[in-house]
Amino acid sequence: MARPMGPVRLRRTNYVTLSIGAALCIFIIYFLTSPGGHSRSTTKHSSPIPKPSHKVRRDVQRFDLNKVTITNDPVGNKEKILILTPMARFYQEYWDNLVKLNYPHELITLGFILPKSKEGNAATTALQAQITKTQKGARPFRKVIIERQDFEPPLASQDESERHKLANQKDRRAAMSKARNSLLFTTLGPDTSWVLWLDADIVETPPTLIQDLASHNKDLIVPNCFQRYTDDSGKLAERAYDFNSWQDSNTAQELAATMGPEDLLLEGYEELPTYRTLMAYMELEDMNDVRAEVPLDGVGGTALLVKADVHRDGAMFPPFPFYHLIETEGFAKMARRLGWHATGLPNYKVYHYNE
Amino acid sequence: MMSRHHSGAYANGYPRAKTFEISPHRFQPRASTPATRRRRKLLIRLGIFATLAILFGLFVWPGSNTIVSIFSLGLVSANNDVVMDTVRYYDLSNVQGTARGWEREERILLCVPLRDAEPHLAMMFSHLHNFTYPHHLIDLAFLVSDSKDRTLEVLVDRLEALQADEDPKQPYGEISIIEKDFGQKVEQDVESRHGFAAQASRRKLMAQARNWLLSAALRPYHSWVYWRDVDVETAPFTILEDLMRHNKDVIVPNVWRPLPDWLGGEQPYDLNSWQESETALALADTLDEDAVIVEGYAEYATWRPHLAYLRDPYGDPDMEMEIDGVGGVSILAKAKVFRSGVHFPAFSFEKHAETEGFGKMAKRMQYSVVGLPHYTIWHLYEPSVDDIKHMEEMEQERKAKEQEEKQKTEKEKKIKEQFSDASSQWEKDKTEIQNLAKQEPKKEGKQDTKKEAKADAKKGSTSEDKKTTGEGAEDDSNTESKSKSKDDSDKVSEKPAKDQAKKVES
Repeated sequence: MARPMGPVRLRRTNYVTLSIGAALCIFIIYFLTSPGGHSRSTTKHSSPIPKPSHKVRRDVQRFDLNKVTITNDPVGNKEKILILTPMARFYQEYWDNLVKLNYPHELITLGFILPKSKEGNAATTALQAQITKTQKGARPFRKVIIERQDFEPPLASQDESERHKLANQKDRRAAMSKARNSLLFTTLGPDTSWVLWLDADIVETPPTLIQDLASHNKDLIVPNCFQRYTDDSGKLAERAYDFNSWQDSNTAQELAATMGPEDLLLEGYEELPTYRTLMAYMELEDMNDVRAEVPLDGVGGTALLVKADVHRDGAMFPPFPFYHLIETEGFAKMARRLGWHATGLPNYKVYHYNE
Repeated sequence: MMSRHHSGAYANGYPRAKTFEISPHRFQPRASTPATRRRRKLLIRLGIFATLAILFGLFVWPGSNTIVSIFSLGLVSANNDVVMDTVRYYDLSNVQGTARGWEREERILLCVPLRDAEPHLAMMFSHLHNFTYPHHLIDLAFLVSDSKDRTLEVLVDRLEALQADEDPKQPYGEISIIEKDFGQKVEQDVESRHGFAAQASRRKLMAQARNWLLSAALRPYHSWVYWRDVDVETAPFTILEDLMRHNKDVIVPNVWRPLPDWLGGEQPYDLNSWQESETALALADTLDEDAVIVEGYAEYATWRPHLAYLRDPYGDPDMEMEIDGVGGVSILAKAKVFRSGVHFPAFSFEKHAETEGFGKMAKRMQYSVVGLPHYTIWHLYEPSVDDIKHMEEMEQERKAKEQEEKQKTEKEKKIKEQFSDASSQWEKDKTEIQNLAKQEPKKEGKQDTKKEAKADAKKGSTSEDKKTTGEGAEDDSNTESKSKSKDDSDKVSEKPAKDQAKKVES
């Protein structure tokens, strides 16, 4: 039966191919016409914690900021505190320490900002896992806000050596300032009394950190930031870590006077001998008096408690050289220009992660 | 359909192997096989159509969670719901602000600082009513500080009315009112507000108020921030879109104010939008750390090009001009500018404070700061003390003039009355004379008397005519002077409104 098969088969599969073709066409047309809508719906479901559908309150909300108190007894006055952390890496020790803080958790709002990099994604996932666990637990925090941002210029490397090179400092700390400001000004809100800046690599603090710092009732207050390590002989020891808390010196002032407007006067670099009095190396008469206070001109941001009013007045972390200072040091200067003072607690220690 | 004759062995579904059977054409229940096959085909087709329909439906209505949740994710999100109330996730790269924000549903935070603003609230709400940017995408934030009048009460009432509006397009997004008293001693009246000595401290306090408002109201989902003063009288309804279209980090329109005719009709109002000049930079170097340079005062001659003075009423409203200092009457800025830390310095930043310092700081962080010289909004005209004095003088002058006019008309009236009296007297006299005359020539023919009587009647009617026309003229002049005086008062009191109308047209 020499009979051509072609046309028969063609006709028989016609309906199927047609319908498949039609289906494909519909898909193609759909993707061509509405790429935005579809990608939005996929991203919406791909993140572990979906973006909340924006619920709008129609009523008129009134906030009387005259009634937001800032006192040395924050627990007694039920003062709300905002703990802000710019995060590039997640350390379990950080989270454990944070959860251990014994300030009433229902008064604590947590704010995190993470870069949109591979490292940032990993940190976000780890962080969200811990948040979910804690928020389902017995002592959930009042609110947790996670923000993601593209850092421009991107933080190329987070290695200790690379991170601390003088030339990289300006860009790195400018990006850091912007991250801090973004986090701060979107979360401050109308009812916060205190803002605690706590770096993601602070792994050990007294559980009473907030009460202890607030009891001094200072505008800006910084504990001393140390780092635990094992020395050559294998013993546990500690060393100073944060050199951004200092009292100004004449040498530094003179040095600053000779600089161009875009130059930075940084601390802890041999190229720039400033002879500032660093809180990290302060020799006090009584080494055990944890309540000893010293006035400061520059502050570090590893742990830093600030009255919310200081930020509300506009004091922020300058991402540009402000009196030759940047980030947290520039923040202290800007606060000073607005009439707020910085204080340090040389004997009150918090500990940084050892890399 | 193919003819059965050809397709025979293959089309009916027999396996090929059967071709080698001895009698391939013996009877078979042929009808049954194609029937089942047709049914199967039909089922497949139906299945394909069903899946297509479902898929299509999924894509067309992605919001319908009931269908979406069938696929895996439903379980996850349901689990997370408990946590969701307290945990929020925001990607700030989605809220950078684009030229066509209304299409991407970008939210705007509209900030209005208020102090003793009760009289201006009605005007402000009429503006709120008219914005063409989708209202549900605009969050309103008000700061009420140190107010001695009923600003707060009126504001709350009006906002509640606005939110309860029947028109679904009227209600706004979230509304927050923030109360904070800074204990300001500076008075808000025009004189003290614009006096040179008070400027620096006044500007710093204003800056503080603005910063408090922004830091309390800005949220991670805002793409834009719009600052608007309460005392803007006229502005295009589309101002948000118009400014947004330029896609600049910070953008301001030109701000003028209408004036009464005797002051020239209109005047540049906001002198805080300017381009930096060498003279001003040199001047800044000579001042001490806390000094604040303020524009528009003879004390600081800066020779800066001002946005306000560059206005051409017939110029291209889309023309842009790079500026360094900005005025605060109407600023549209991307929220990322504020997020990155730019604010209104309440201290002397590069010798400037408040909005001018804001412009300087934005520039310092390499943001684009732009003004539109030919796109104008109109600030309310509040007469200064001098203006009021001048207006009182004018009013007196006007009254004196009116008085004079009145006297004049009265005089005329009197004269006319006297005239009409005289004419009637004359009439009387005339008739008497005529009577006398009639009596004398009585003996003359009847025809004569008739003639005279006719002439008499004629004369009488003409004099009457004269009288009425005279009175008519008098009336006219009266109304004319009245309407004239009314015009005068209109000119003084309603001039701004007229100007406004003019502006709307232009």
